[in-house]
Order: sequence, then C-alpha cells, then structure tokens
Amino acid sequence: MKKIILSAVVAASLAGRLYATVAEDSKIFTPFFDMSLNEAAYVPSVGNIFSGGNINTQVGLLTKITQKDQLFGLYNFNYAGPGFTPQDSKQFTDRSLSHSFTFEYRRNITEKLRVRPGVAFTTDYSRSGANEAWKNGLYNMTSSGLQLAADYTFDFERNGIVSLTYLAKSVKFPNYTDLLKEFQDPRNTANVNGGLQDQGIKQVSLRPAWGKWFGGVTYTQQDYKNQKVIGLDGVYSLTDNQKDKTTMLDAGFHHTLWIFELSPMVSYTMHRSNQNFLRYKYFGAVLNPADLSGTSDVTLVAKNYDYNEFTLSVPLYLNITGKWAIGGAVNMTSRKYTDRKKRDENNNYVAGLQKNLMTTMTGSIRKRINETALVQLYYALTVVGSNNKFEKYMPANYTGNTLGLSYQLSY
Amino acid sequence: MKRTILLLTALLCFNGAAFAAIDLESKGMQMLGEVLANPAAFFYDFQQDLEGTTPLPPGKTFGIQTGLFPTTIPLTYLNVSGKLRLHGEGRIAPGVPQLDLIGGYWDMLAAKMATKDSDTIDSAKFGGYYMGAIISASVSPRVRTFWGYKRSVMAAKLAFKAGQEPELLGTTVSSFNTGFKDDFVIAGIETPKGIGKLWSMQLNYGLKTQTFSSKVSWYGKVFELGLNIYPEGVLVIHPVWNMHLNF
Repeated sequence: MKKIILSAVVAASLAGRLYATVAEDSKIFTPFFDMSLNEAAYVPSVGNIFSGGNINTQVGLLTKITQKDQLFGLYNFNYAGPGFTPQDSKQFTDRSLSHSFTFEYRRNITEKLRVRPGVAFTTDYSRSGANEAWKNGLYNMTSSGLQLAADYTFDFERNGIVSLTYLAKSVKFPNYTDLLKEFQDPRNTANVNGGLQDQGIKQVSLRPAWGKWFGGVTYTQQDYKNQKVIGLDGVYSLTDNQKDKTTMLDAGFHHTLWIFELSPMVSYTMHRSNQNFLRYKYFGAVLNPADLSGTSDVTLVAKNYDYNEFTLSVPLYLNITGKWAIGGAVNMTSRKYTDRKKRDENNNYVAGLQKNLMTTMTGSIRKRINETALVQLYYALTVVGSNNKFEKYMPANYTGNTLGLSYQLSY
Repeated sequence: MKRTILLLTALLCFNGAAFAAIDLESKGMQMLGEVLANPAAFFYDFQQDLEGTTPLPPGKTFGIQTGLFPTTIPLTYLNVSGKLRLHGEGRIAPGVPQLDLIGGYWDMLAAKMATKDSDTIDSAKFGGYYMGAIISASVSPRVRTFWGYKRSVMAAKLAFKAGQEPELLGTTVSSFNTGFKDDFVIAGIETPKGIGKLWSMQLNYGLKTQTFSSKVSWYGKVFELGLNIYPEGVLVIHPVWNMHLNF
C-alpha cells in the first residue's frame, strides 16, 4: 500500500515539475528527455552484500497547436531495484518496473489561467527475491485514470503559480490473491480471494510555487473494491470495505548562493485506514473470539495501519569549479504509529507505540560533463532503528553502507 | 579439463565481484545458481555488449564494429556489427530524422574448440545475431536523441558426454539447450564530450521478456568505452571496450 501512496504522491510532485515544461516560442514541437541511472553496491549489517539501483527514463513531446492550445505526451520508464528501504515497506530484494503514459491537453483560458485535462495509464510489474517472471508478480498492477488541473499565475515576474489538480484512478492487481486465506482454507481459491487489492484512487492537490519556493497539500483516498474490514470481533465485515485516507503537506526550496547549492525539502504525512489487523503470534495460532487482547495468541490491533510520518531531505552541493562539485546530504524518515504497539523479539506486544526512524547521510563527488549531462559517485551510510524488535520477516534495526554511481542526461 | 572451458569462462567473470563480497561462498553459489537457472539470459547480456545501438555520426554513410572486451576477450565471442545510413538528417526535407540500419553476428570460438577437442563435451553452440533500425534527430546543436528497434536472437546449447557430467550445487548437469529472442525498443540521447568525442546514454527494453539494460558510452573515431548496466543480470555492471570505424 505504501507503494501506491508513494507513487500517487510522486505523481503529484512530478506533475509539478512537468507542468513547468514550456514550449519554445519558435517551435511547434518541444521535446522533453530525462534519463537517469543509478547503480550501487549495498552492504547491510543484516544479510549479505547485494547490488541494486534505479533507472528512470522520461520522454515527452509538447506540441503547440495554437498560441492557446498545446498537447503534452509523456512516457515514463522506471525501474526501482533492490536497496535499503524504510521499515514496514518492502524487502531489500523487492523490485519493480513500470511503464506510464500521460497525455495532457493544455488550454490557456486567460493570460493567468490555464486548464489541463488529461489521461494516464500505468503498468507496473513487481518481483521478489525469488526471481519470478515479471508477468507473475503477486503485486503486478495496472491503472488508468483521468486528471483535471488548473494553473493560476499570480506573479509573472517571479514565476508564481498555484495549481489545483484532481486525479481519479482505477487500480487493478490481476495476480493478487490472499495466500494466507488460501493456506488456511484450501476451499478458498483465487476466485474468492482475487481482486482484494483492487481499488479506486481519488486525489486532490493544491500546489503553489513562487520563485525558489514550492510546496503543497495532497489528499489521497483509496477505496478498496473487494477488501473487507476486519471487525473488532476478529471477523471480516460483510458490508464495510477498506478505505484509506492520506494527507500530505510538503514544502521546499532550491537556492544557489555563490558556490553553495541547497535544496531542502520537508513533508508530513498522515495516513488513516479503517482496516484493523489480526496478529497471529506463531504458525498455527488459533483465534479465540472471546479473547483478542494483546496477551492472546491471536490479537486484534485496531487502527494498526494508522501513522504520521515526517521526512526531511537536505542536499547541499559546493560547486568547487564549473564542472566539479562536492555534495553532502541528510535524509530522514520518521514514522510514528498512532495505535500500533511495539513488539519484543518474541512477537509479544509491549507497552508503548511503535516508532521507526531511517537516516541516510550521503557524501558525493559530482562532475558536470556539459549542460545536459552529469555523473556522480557517492557513498551513503544508512542507520535504521525501531522500537519494534520483532524482525523475523523484515529487518527493522540495521545499518547499511552504499557505494554507488549515477548518471543523468536531461534535455 | 577441457569440459570446464565454458564454466571457467563464466566463473572468471564474477571473480571480481566475489572479492568484494562479505560471504564469498554463498554469494558465488547464488550467482552460479542464477546462471544455471537461466543460462541464455546470462550469455545474452554479453551479446548486448557487442551490439552497436547508437546512430552513425552525422555525415557518415556506413560503419563496422567489433566488440573487444568482455566479448572477444575473454569470452571468445568473435563478432562483427555493421551500420548503414539510409537517410541523413534533413536530406529529404528539414526536420526529417536520420535513419540507420544496424545488425551483427557473433559465434563463440571456445564452444567450437570444446566440441572439437573435448572428451567430455558432446556438443556446444553459443551464438547469435541482431538486426534493427535507428532514427536520430537533433534537438539542439549539442544534443541528439535516438530511437530504435532491434530483433535479437541467441542460441545457448551445451551437452556433456554420458558419464562425464559435472556436478554443480549438488546437481548433475548433463545439458542445457536454451535460446533467447526478443524485440527491443531503444531510446537514447547523445551529446558531445569534446571534439570528435561523444557521450551517450540509452535504454534497451525487450517487449516480451522485459529484459532491459542501460548503456552509458563514450566514443571517438576508433574506440568506444562503455558501462553497460543489467540490473536484473548476474553480472550487473559490464565494462565494455569496442572498436569501430565509420566512413
């Protein structure tokens, strides 16, 4: 789920960057090309060394039909490889590969107001460390949706724009099935348990940008089409479907002063879900409807998925020469669950709420090859800690070293 | 001894990576397992190293290329590639992009030698070809984007003589007969690094198998240096050295 929220939020942020793509006056066609590659070796304190990386390719074309009408098409290929991730998200070895298509019509209503209706399609493949074929990924996903956006320019001199965007998406997981349910009762088949992740997403965002500053508020609602809520009696509701709501506030700026280049960003996310969680303490634990307390083998944790998350990113570059720069960055993700108690090593709930913290400090050397290309060599130290000590399936406390190389070409 | 020629060749390739590992043995076993699970994918990554998938420089009509490392040396992939320009950018009309045909062929010399001389290898065939087309268009005086299609085909067959089968990871390997073929789309961008020197970055994506790679290359009049990245491959980073002549 985190992945969907992230992609929805990333889509909102990306939209902010892409809407700024402008047609050159003399041209009918203006291409947009951005290709980045990052490959790194990861050495965690838990588990063996592994390699991973990211590839992102964006290819777009802006077509100026008249002075007031434009068409913008964008294709985005993204590969997110193995890597260190915040706790409770995914395994180191999980990776995904996606193709996204976006088509947008842009119409200038007045000098200050522009509207951007559009459509978007995404196919996302997922793969676990078991190296299954891409087409068989349990979390493979397709989505299609509509967008309606409006941009209002309030300050031409300092490029002050506020954008209001509404997105509606239908998301399907064709391979997903509840493996636990099928295991517990072989009569349950994919026909019954399939489609549990299918959902509709609605998103509204309001994003102002002014000079070097940008920010915004994004509200996302996920309506599950088939996934029922586990009631406080430990039984699936017959009527209530899962519904998740996420509100994110973010702000940042990009500033260059003499040789210093600084681009900090903060965000605060509040995630709320009506879904509850049944914790089976061990394999074969039996549910006792009369006792679902924290000391029983099967425990009901109401609002298990609700959390507040704060992220901070502070990259700083010192441009030593026109070509070379030294960089340093601090990234922090702090998540506090509102109702989920922490667990000890033996999967027992103990007093206190679960808190996760992931901090990454990066040092880098960057070379700008020309106005369109740059290469970067970096080292990062990742420190991950949590008061959740039950780490049988996912590491929650570890340190990691990353040595990587990245390239970027953009036009 | 000769039956191990091919296996040693493969093992030598992840020698470098293994030195960096914390648990050398388990990492090596994991990589060997991945090779055995899908040998064609492993050997195809090296085919991509020798494939010439950048456009001809402006003004050139045809070109020939051969991969030197890691293809000819140490893998004995004898190979030749060619490019032929069908249309120069802007020749027919302003804005009409350059169109090149590309193609190439390779055959593994070690496989032929092993089949001929070995007492243990019954038959071995490693080889492949590719063909396609690339269009390229300048988007500014210093930036050229290119787009392409290629059809890649590869055969990887190896059979040991009865009673001479090696044991790997506790399993006796008697033979494998795998192939690889897919249709790829190519998207890339090229920019000058200096006089007569170019820098490019491209994505190759196989439509059926979802095989993908990212190639970063620096090339001049005769040589090309590159870093080919195969994120899902056994050997993720391939340093590449190719030679080409364009006329």
